[in-house]
Amino acid sequence: MSLPRWTLAAIAAALSAVSAADPVSVRIAADTGGASTRLVLTFSRSMSCATSEAQGKLRISCPEPILPDSATRTLDDPILTGWATEGDRTLVLSLGGGYRRADTFELSNPARLVLDLQGDRGGRAASGVRTPAATLPVVVLDPGHGGVETGAIGASGLEEKDVTLDLARRVKPLLERQGLTVVLTRDEDRVMPLDDRTAIANQNRAELFVSIHVNASKRKSAVGAETYFLSTDATDVEARTLAALENKAYAPPDQTSTPAAGAPDKGLELILWDLAQNSYLAESSRLAELVQREMNSLAGTKDRGVRQAPFRVLMGATMPAILVEAAFISNPQEESRLADAAAKDKIADAIARAIVAYRRDVASAGTH
Amino acid sequence: MSARALLAAAALLLAGCGRTPQAPDQPKEEATQQAAPEASAPSSGSPKTTITLYFPSATDDRLVTETREIMDTARPAERGTQVLVELLAGPKGKDALPALPEGTTLRQLWIGRGGVAWADFSDELVTGLKGGSSDELLAVYSVVDSLTQNVPQITRVGLLVGGRERDTLAGHVDIRNPLPANAKLAPQPSPTTE
Repeated sequence: MSLPRWTLAAIAAALSAVSAADPVSVRIAADTGGASTRLVLTFSRSMSCATSEAQGKLRISCPEPILPDSATRTLDDPILTGWATEGDRTLVLSLGGGYRRADTFELSNPARLVLDLQGDRGGRAASGVRTPAATLPVVVLDPGHGGVETGAIGASGLEEKDVTLDLARRVKPLLERQGLTVVLTRDEDRVMPLDDRTAIANQNRAELFVSIHVNASKRKSAVGAETYFLSTDATDVEARTLAALENKAYAPPDQTSTPAAGAPDKGLELILWDLAQNSYLAESSRLAELVQREMNSLAGTKDRGVRQAPFRVLMGATMPAILVEAAFISNPQEESRLADAAAKDKIADAIARAIVAYRRDVASAGTH
Repeated sequence: MSARALLAAAALLLAGCGRTPQAPDQPKEEATQQAAPEASAPSSGSPKTTITLYFPSATDDRLVTETREIMDTARPAERGTQVLVELLAGPKGKDALPALPEGTTLRQLWIGRGGVAWADFSDELVTGLKGGSSDELLAVYSVVDSLTQNVPQITRVGLLVGGRERDTLAGHVDIRNPLPANAKLAPQPSPTTE
């Protein structure tokens, strides 16, 4: 879209005229579903507020008057018990007994202040999550698919969901022998939503998230292993914000009545979770390289390389996260390998070796 | 003046400038199927134009192209619809494979703000996929690349199934939000065979 310059100038002038007038409206959203409690303040225009903590309260002080959409709120959450306004420029958060510390950051377009309130939810951890022994580092293995979601099915009837669980169960003891705690996102044949898989890794404070899959193609000749880390295609902040604003209060009055009544209506706070993996892409890429190198060392495995894709299960992971496609179940020869215990042990060994090598790299680089 | 009134004024400016012709056949990207009734109605005997479709390759794990002739139209949603109808009709050459599962139909395509096209397909798009991430990636990007490469007003494509949004088609590729074209899957000049 190329607009004449005067139009943009007029819009800019109109928008800055807005900023000189009314108080800044603030939409407040709290998400208590994750490992930390996340509070997102979305401002109607750009503004930097300061935070300070004292005596069980966290004060958010803004340079201009603010108008929160909910001035007072009480939450049933051990980390954040509620908030209230104080004067016309300050929001005061009441911290619960589970609160430990706050990480804050700002985002633009639209302007947001994000507070990750870290702490302990006590017995409220999601079911299926194992609280790890205090000091052992945790690796989460994610067997792809499960239950009625079989994943790909080979010509002989072998199902991806069974292969992935089998492989994960073989990797687990190899890592435990190295002094790691290993959590499987599922240890039985059942449906597991993609969000929950990442949530298990986040709630366990996992060091690494490794999703195990096997591939399938309409081309029976397709063979080999490949390792993915997240591409930012689907995490472009601008595009996602635009999509989120499609039917939102902060969007300008709509001149077109689109037939898009069913157009996706997304909360910005949810989008923010999806951006979590973006800060780990370099580490994820390194882990992917190591996994792929070990997969390539297996006899008869074609190297399909390290790739990037907007894979749903990798989004929102707050640690290095990869997805390995160990072989093609749609190729008869590779399918028979995936049915063979010795061959599966070799694949499991390759994945475990890569994880150990990655942790050794990180330790020697002294960045962890 | 209230913020809302000013924003309305800004939006009117935007809409007004849409009537300033910049290029004869490039209407505003905000245009939707129903919008801009003054834009040219499709007339029989319109001139033809050539488009490039992206299909999964029969020999490697990328996309290959085939060309088609469609009716020329100034309306991006109409052009996009013709692109997808041709894509759904399947490949003609032996170097390409069908992009989407058999029986899949296009329910609707519209173009929203920000150059985002929403393509709504029938349920076969999900029930017909066999579950591999390779096939899923190629299905998604055959649609995304065919639309973005042939309709200049489209920069991103959102996929819906049966009128609803989904997380993924088969458990891998995130389609909750519109996707841009994927250059990494684009055809190579000299395709390799396996």
